[in-house]
Amino acid sequence: MKANKLIIFVWMMTVIAMLATACAPATTPAAPAATEAPAVTEAPAATEAPAQTEAPAATLEITPEGKKILRVAYTAEIDILNALTSQNLTDIEVTMVEGLIISNDKNQYIPVLAKEIPTYENGGIVKRDDGKIDMTWHLQEGVKWHDGVEFTSKDVCFTWKFIVSEGSEVYNRDEYLNIEDCQAPDPYTVVFTWKVPFAPYATLFEAILPEHVLGNLTTAEILTYDAYNRSPLGTGPFMFAEWKSGEYVRVVKNPNYWRGPEYPKLDEIIFTFIPDNNTRLNAMKSKEYDLGLGFQANQVKDLRTIDGYDVSLVDSNAFIHFGTSIKSENGKKLFDDVKVRQAIYYAIDRPAIANDLMEGTVTLADTPINPLSPYYNKDAKVYNYDPELSKKLLAEAGWTPGADGILEKNGTRFSFTILNRAGRNDRIAIAQVIQAMLKEVGIEVLMETKESAAWTEQWRTGNWDATVGGWFLTADPSVTNLYACDGANNMTGYCDPKLDEVMKASDQALDFNERKPLMDQVQAILAEDAFDLPLYFNVLPISYSKALVNFKGSGTNLGSFWNCYEWDLVPQQ
Amino acid sequence: MENSMTLYISRRLLQMIPLMIGISIIMFALIQAVPGGPEAMFLESGRFIDPTIIESYRHRLGLDQPLYIQYFKWLAAAVTGDFGLSFSTSRPVSEMILERLPATLELMLMAFIFAAIIAIPLGIFSAVRQYSLLDYLTTTLSFLGIAMPVFWFGLMLQLLFSVKLGWFPTSGRITVGDASLVDQVRHLVLPGIVLSLLYIAGWSRYMRASLLSVLRKDFMLTARAKGATERYVIWVHGVKNALIPVVSIMALDLAGLFSGAVITETVFAWPGIGRLFIQSVYSRDYPLVMGILMMGSFMVVFFNLVADVVYAWLDPRISYS
Repeated sequence: MKANKLIIFVWMMTVIAMLATACAPATTPAAPAATEAPAVTEAPAATEAPAQTEAPAATLEITPEGKKILRVAYTAEIDILNALTSQNLTDIEVTMVEGLIISNDKNQYIPVLAKEIPTYENGGIVKRDDGKIDMTWHLQEGVKWHDGVEFTSKDVCFTWKFIVSEGSEVYNRDEYLNIEDCQAPDPYTVVFTWKVPFAPYATLFEAILPEHVLGNLTTAEILTYDAYNRSPLGTGPFMFAEWKSGEYVRVVKNPNYWRGPEYPKLDEIIFTFIPDNNTRLNAMKSKEYDLGLGFQANQVKDLRTIDGYDVSLVDSNAFIHFGTSIKSENGKKLFDDVKVRQAIYYAIDRPAIANDLMEGTVTLADTPINPLSPYYNKDAKVYNYDPELSKKLLAEAGWTPGADGILEKNGTRFSFTILNRAGRNDRIAIAQVIQAMLKEVGIEVLMETKESAAWTEQWRTGNWDATVGGWFLTADPSVTNLYACDGANNMTGYCDPKLDEVMKASDQALDFNERKPLMDQVQAILAEDAFDLPLYFNVLPISYSKALVNFKGSGTNLGSFWNCYEWDLVPQQ
Repeated sequence: MENSMTLYISRRLLQMIPLMIGISIIMFALIQAVPGGPEAMFLESGRFIDPTIIESYRHRLGLDQPLYIQYFKWLAAAVTGDFGLSFSTSRPVSEMILERLPATLELMLMAFIFAAIIAIPLGIFSAVRQYSLLDYLTTTLSFLGIAMPVFWFGLMLQLLFSVKLGWFPTSGRITVGDASLVDQVRHLVLPGIVLSLLYIAGWSRYMRASLLSVLRKDFMLTARAKGATERYVIWVHGVKNALIPVVSIMALDLAGLFSGAVITETVFAWPGIGRLFIQSVYSRDYPLVMGILMMGSFMVVFFNLVADVVYAWLDPRISYS
């Protein structure tokens, strides 16, 4: 009998719990209850932590000893901590390992271990008689690696040697191949000899490797060198402390950081791996972390409800676009006509996608260049939503409606397949919207979804009709890689020699005033050629405690930790 | 009796060798048959990638060699206990698996023990009071438990107990800087409940069915006729006999102890082997996938043997000769 009653009780509680959670979204009244509890969970070493928190609104990571610990809710676990050979993004490495440059929140490259970025004006770039370029970098002096050894030009030349060596597997190795020699005339000067001018030169060397640690190893050995892969040696504001596999990476303050004794302001940063988006959202809601990354646009509403936290919608260089390919049989039949491509673009309502589907959290893109970039060309042709014009162009191209309303030409139905990547739900949603919009003008769109790695394999062959894709562009505006006839990342088969000429010329224009008109031309030609339809620039929603100051989110591929040395945790009054 | 049992066990152990080799061939073929390779991870971040590094990457990992050569290289190393280096981290696969074992065992054991404590009595009471309210409730809950999407249930628990009530942390194994016992237990509760629900649902059903069939047996009538109390009859004669198939099933489930639970570990960011496995499949990290699969298969085969032995030991009617 007793067991009977117990079972009924348990059952009742379960049902009540489920009902309660079903009502969870209307939650703001519950916030006060939630803030009490985190004061208990967040006290690492002492139970008097509740007395430490100044305001109930934000969980403060200042321990009773006065240590400032920043807890970051990060995404899936990374593979290795070598910023150059890792296949993942390098947020964690950036706190420990520095390079000649880094990209900031304004989409600019700024010098870090270099005193300034060389240009023609400051004499850092000199053209030689044989047409080659000598580029001189003056390094910061008095910089020490975390083990006390001095950082010198030897390290820079060693890094270059490693990257260009056979089999280094550095993601952008081909760009470094433009440098044919590296000289270190004195410990604080590096001279690169470039085969040809390379405008994106400031994007390179975001990380320097320590020559005194890795200098005696072969390239293959460095790739598998566990000591560096698991605990990299750097010059940065934080030093590696601990990597608990599957759980977290902990970095601690570098007491001899070269920017001065007042930096870094934080004592520790802990990156906890939480691969699932929903779990990370819940973790932020329960205030277990001060900073949360990797959220999606549709979680912004929820993130905004967290008391004591701000949401930063960082405009990123993650460029979402609708692309077609003429490498597939069907693609070649349908898309090899510029009028048809333009017609398709006119039939797609991009503002509706950016503002309605993505709830206004993204930035509409008219060209592959971010509107915030000084290279953005606002006069390039824009495909405004005009289904009537679309129908007209399709008719001009010889497509007439068939019996089922779908366009036909010489026995071919205008039907193509969008290849979707499982897990990229925002892009699948866009594909569905495009499917509906194109139906209006008589085009049939089918969908095929493949698992991530399988999708990648097919995508690389170019044997697909269309896809909603995304690129994480660097802060440099060069898109040659994407659209050149022999572009390494051009999987579509589209080729315009005139475009190639202008892109390559702009890649060799080291001076802004020379490069800007060329880039304008590139964007204008791209728009006319209609190889690719820009949709929007993704935002990176980042949730962070109001106690975190000096956080300046950056949407570049080098991430938002670029200025972590000046971050601080300040109690909110 | 002793002798034939030892013989039986030895025979089974010997059979394991060709069995494991056969399994490894099938596993290897299956993972290679799946489209896409480890180079896909380079393109995951969306950055521009130099395509020549993909070729050198594949060459370094030996992926440009014919499949059978890749397999025999793997096998030759595997029989010595060397499962190779992971493609993504370049660390020894055995090291990666071993460092995740404690967390996995912790979670799975907790769920197992908790589930056993609840499921067995639940099943017994259900059977003894068949068609009572308790029985219907338990049956409904069991079906709910089996049908419940783990993912959803885990997130619901998180929303209620972590976000709204703040009783337990949302995820992870410990709070960094505080690895006290209390902290560890608090982290175990939610994923433990989610996991054990699955086992409770299944095991209580087995217990109920098994006991029901035993209760109908003639010897139960005999025991009652001999004058034993109802409680004695049910517990000593009924449950003891009914436990036999249930224990065997639990022994089989024990194999899962080492494989972890993929979905639960993902939802609660638990650093277990389940999550490691799904990550390795996603990134086509073949050595790691093979390592985990072989370990899992070995456990299944081994615990099958354990289940058979336990069954024979518990039930005197069975003999392996």
